[in-house]
Amino acid sequence: MELWRYIGNRLLQTVVTLLAVLTLMWGMFRLIPGDPTTIFLGSGELPPDALAALRHSWGLDAPLYQQYLDYLRNLLTGNLGVSFYYRRPVLDVLLPMLWNTILLMGVAMVLATVIGVVVGAYLGWKRGQRIETIGSLLVLIPRSLPIFWIGIMLLMVFAYGLGWFPIGGLRTPAFIPETPLQQLPGYDLAQHMFLPVLTSVIYFLSDPLMIMRTSMLEVIEEDFIMFARARGLHERTVRKMARRNAIGPVLTYLAIMVSFAFGGQVLVEVLFSWPGMGSLMVNSVAQRDYPVAQAAFFLMAIITILLNLLIDVLYVFIDPRVHYG
Amino acid sequence: MADVMGALPRRRGWQTPLFIILRSRIGATGVLILVIFTAVALAAPLIAPYDPFQIHRLPDNSVAQLLPPSSQFWLGTTYYGRDVLSQLIFGTRVAMIVGILSAFFITAIGTNVGLFAGYFGGWIDSLLMRITDVVFGIPFLPFAVVLVALLRPSLSNIILTISCLLWRTTARVIRAQVLSLRERPFIKAARMAGASDLRVMYVHILPNVLPMSLLYVSLGIGWAVLAEASLSFLGFGDPSMLSWGEILYQAYLTGSFRSSWWVVVPPGICIALLVASAFMIGREAETIVNPRLRDP
Repeated sequence: MELWRYIGNRLLQTVVTLLAVLTLMWGMFRLIPGDPTTIFLGSGELPPDALAALRHSWGLDAPLYQQYLDYLRNLLTGNLGVSFYYRRPVLDVLLPMLWNTILLMGVAMVLATVIGVVVGAYLGWKRGQRIETIGSLLVLIPRSLPIFWIGIMLLMVFAYGLGWFPIGGLRTPAFIPETPLQQLPGYDLAQHMFLPVLTSVIYFLSDPLMIMRTSMLEVIEEDFIMFARARGLHERTVRKMARRNAIGPVLTYLAIMVSFAFGGQVLVEVLFSWPGMGSLMVNSVAQRDYPVAQAAFFLMAIITILLNLLIDVLYVFIDPRVHYG
Repeated sequence: MADVMGALPRRRGWQTPLFIILRSRIGATGVLILVIFTAVALAAPLIAPYDPFQIHRLPDNSVAQLLPPSSQFWLGTTYYGRDVLSQLIFGTRVAMIVGILSAFFITAIGTNVGLFAGYFGGWIDSLLMRITDVVFGIPFLPFAVVLVALLRPSLSNIILTISCLLWRTTARVIRAQVLSLRERPFIKAARMAGASDLRVMYVHILPNVLPMSLLYVSLGIGWAVLAEASLSFLGFGDPSMLSWGEILYQAYLTGSFRSSWWVVVPPGICIALLVASAFMIGREAETIVNPRLRDP
């Protein structure tokens, strides 16, 4: 029962957070000097009465609180407005980009977490040995590097220098497979994904790895590990037991990872011209296409908040020792 | 007497945080790098070989575009014929200003929020922590892009944006510390002796959470430098200022990074060194907060 009350509280908290972020964003986009109509029309001029009609049809002549309520109602019904630049509904522009982003980010995060857990557990297990010292120092280097710089270096060497990978984009236009390898389904996509995914993995890797290592160091001190050893279990079996017990903090960390993942994602997408939400948002802000920029930002915030909720709730089920409250 | 009351011993001389950091090799390296960068930033006009915006020309009057490193231009020239080393030296100023000011604001806001929430508890705590939760729900870089673009890109807006958001971790950590300090006898004694809430908070509790704040000053410098570089790289940097991120942005925009390593490698290394030095100092500051981490 206590569990369900915790989940209920957490849900309520999520709704409040979402509402607060929405309100904040609404306020932020009011900072734009002038009026959306001037941006929408660009340099074009409208007769005053036509302008007034446009302002009326967009609800810009309504009092502020009315505009705010309209904004919330529109968001809830999935009406995100029309793009100033593409002159299409924002949702049509946004959705294909969303999938590209999820593809890139999902692959990178899963890879980084799996590699981080396995390597981190190994390093923790080998405590005090040379491989642990070297490994822990190595993974700290990318933490001080800007992610886009890692990407630039990879592009410089592997795309422009060696020509092994394409320089960006999602797929080669009119791709014609020549070798049997190239005929595999998804070959072209995989080739385009390789460098952006590698960049993100290098960037994401250090935190789950270091957390797993620290957690492993604590777990191997515990009695059940000593007993497992005393029972004569194989070294690898004991390590597996320790690993399973040390994984909790990494899961908690995933929530934090999600919230800063979008930052890295934006940079990687822009650098590799990946047609995702991050590059769309940056371009829209630069083109003053505010409805799209707003929607893209909003979507990233929603995903961050919902994934945080999901991880918190999952954590309760995975680790029954957790004290919820 | 102080021990009886559970107060933490006052640190003197070699026990002060700065000396604890300097005694370790990693901490001392971090401080050294930071001091060098500060000196370079202060002395930029004196040590830079050229005006960073000056466009150099070859004898035949064509622009000295993307010259490789030579005795005349130690780190080569950019696409527009400007000296990379001079740009790098002046870029140090932006990095230091953004890093130090943002770190100061991040820590000041975070420490105060944590202090109020932890000390007063009740609805003040709930309110401040819910606000912190909301701030945690905002993805940082996308938010920064939108806000800086809406407010017009400038150094002060970049610092404002960073400070607005990144105080969140400090607030949570400091609050947790205050919660445990609040129950110590020396705090109860101070309150019993008639000290006001503000006096207890700032005279008795604050000095004990300062080492933790110091940790977030150094982490904050690292975050802020990376954030400024990222914003500049996306094209939302201060157009009137030269920063390392701006150099990288220009190198990317003009495509010169494809052939000329000297326009991308040096700024990247500078960013990495400055951020790493901040993190090194942070690592040692952590051993003050948690002495168990200290090497035997």
